[in-house]
Amino acid sequence: MWSRTFAGLLLGLLISISVVLNLNLLLPIKEDSMLLIGLLCAFPMWAGIQVWAYSFTSSKKAWLKLALVLAPSAVLNALLLVLR
Amino acid sequence: MKRDALKALTNAHAWVGLIISTILFIIFFAGSLSLFREDINSWERDPYFTVGDDVENFSFDAIISQVTQDYNVHTHGYFILQRPTAEQPSSNIYFEEEIVPQGKLDDDQLQGPVEDHIDKHLVLSPDGKILGDGNAFDWGNFLYQLHYNLHIPEVGLYFVGVVTLFFFVALLSGVVIHWRKIISKFFQYRKDGKKDKLLDAHNLIGVMGLPFHVMYAFSGLVFNLLIVYQISYAVALYGGDQAKLFEAAGVVDVHIEETNIAVPVQGIDKLYLTAKESLGEVDITRISIDHFGDESASVTFRGDDKSQFSTRKEVTYHIASGRELYLTKNNYDNDIRGGLAVIASLHFGDFAGYSLRILFFILGIGTCYIILTGNLMWLQKRANLRSEKQNKFGLRLVKAMTTGGFIGTIFATAVGFICARVLPIDMLNRSDVIGQIFFACLALSLITSLFIKAQKQFSAIFLKITAVALAIIPVLDWLMLPQRIVAMFNFGHFDVLIVEAMLLILALCCWLISSKLVIATEPVIEQETNLNELIDNSIVKASVVS
Repeated sequence: MWSRTFAGLLLGLLISISVVLNLNLLLPIKEDSMLLIGLLCAFPMWAGIQVWAYSFTSSKKAWLKLALVLAPSAVLNALLLVLR
Repeated sequence: MKRDALKALTNAHAWVGLIISTILFIIFFAGSLSLFREDINSWERDPYFTVGDDVENFSFDAIISQVTQDYNVHTHGYFILQRPTAEQPSSNIYFEEEIVPQGKLDDDQLQGPVEDHIDKHLVLSPDGKILGDGNAFDWGNFLYQLHYNLHIPEVGLYFVGVVTLFFFVALLSGVVIHWRKIISKFFQYRKDGKKDKLLDAHNLIGVMGLPFHVMYAFSGLVFNLLIVYQISYAVALYGGDQAKLFEAAGVVDVHIEETNIAVPVQGIDKLYLTAKESLGEVDITRISIDHFGDESASVTFRGDDKSQFSTRKEVTYHIASGRELYLTKNNYDNDIRGGLAVIASLHFGDFAGYSLRILFFILGIGTCYIILTGNLMWLQKRANLRSEKQNKFGLRLVKAMTTGGFIGTIFATAVGFICARVLPIDMLNRSDVIGQIFFACLALSLITSLFIKAQKQFSAIFLKITAVALAIIPVLDWLMLPQRIVAMFNFGHFDVLIVEAMLLILALCCWLISSKLVIATEPVIEQETNLNELIDNSIVKASVVS
């Protein structure tokens, strides 16, 4: 249980930051609205991913699936930040 | 959802709930009481400083002149003054007092960290007279701080944030687990089955209060863990420049460098009139002064705009010149600023009077009941396991957490209220002593619970003691301060009654639950008596045979 907890805590946080960052960089909305949308999405996303991590029967699966979600989002982050 | 996944999630739901249960109970119980924080503060303080509503004669300049005459105000510290209102006639002034004049530190003091100032809190009458020291009346604020950081310095805020995150996780996983039955079994409450009853109560209150719970989990996270996203935003979007992030979030910094030229603070009444004109329909309740007594000093007038939902406006002036430094004009509708203000209003339930706060209080105490039923179901499940599969210490620990932690929190709170009423108001470090008594009671409850085997009987007795302790508080109020409380009523202030009603409701709840527990334990006692009789009979028979 602890391993799945840490998977959700760590990767869930990184995924939520990464996805929200992509939203900020992609959507053409004014700055303060975008920051608020990011804030409104980030915490539920983090908690949701934590729940998802708990739904796996093994911790290995949880780390793997979550990493698979994080990877493309992080690549897009890097791409968008370079092109900015 | 697959069966295995659902099973894993159900186990995780129970595990997460159990781990955070005691802390979450304290957070929710203290938070529910904190909805009436101002009433609790008034309950404790105002009987000693009963004042009328002569708000119109209030003069900032007269008070500031009085304070500077009596105290050495710390220039680098804060200076906050709450203006009296019709609801809150005694006002408060908070500042830092220099205890070692600047530039007069000796060699020993210069070598180590030096405490050169102390926090002061004075209570004022509406006409500006200093009534007494406010630091002695801090019980309401103690409960509030317990709610948001458990009085753990530095990391308490983040620790509560992490617990809130897991509360959110428990909520979401609970919804997923219960999803198929969420509509069809919405009102289901099987009062006859022991296990079903706990489960149904857990689901019923959980589902009915779901919007409230989600709002509290989310807003709590925003208050306690916002820093995580703040840092990531600042690093990734603003190249590490936090000032730019604050600017985008509608925060305006009007800081002026200190000049070290002493200038007395005067002319605040005149600036107040200018501020009222500039802010329009804003009820100014709070002023703050930066760099008190320095030529660079500025004053900020702040208040809520009653014509709009959850909108706070402010204006800042340079005191010496009267120059306007900042006025909330085009940034009060900044989405982040406005959004955070709405989240705060939702969390504190401060936008619809007492009715909303009473509803939030009931839902908050309901959440405490959800946490309790969750623990009881876990205990029941473990107790039904074969003895070789049971972790005896784990079982005892959870029982102690449930009895000592949950009832202990209510008991310690009741003792805190009693102390806040009976301890002399001029006692040294009065508020700190009350806080220490609270934690001592909680610790003692937990330790006692660990060593008691008959938990159900112990819970029943402990709840009864707690109920009596809670019910005694209104009695003490009327025995100790009857005339002062009546004087408060005459001025139209009923905070004492509100707090007493809240405590009596809690006392009634504790007594009723205790009575139910006594009924539930009676057959067990009877069974034990029968067993004793059987043993006695066997002994008698054995002795007869021998």
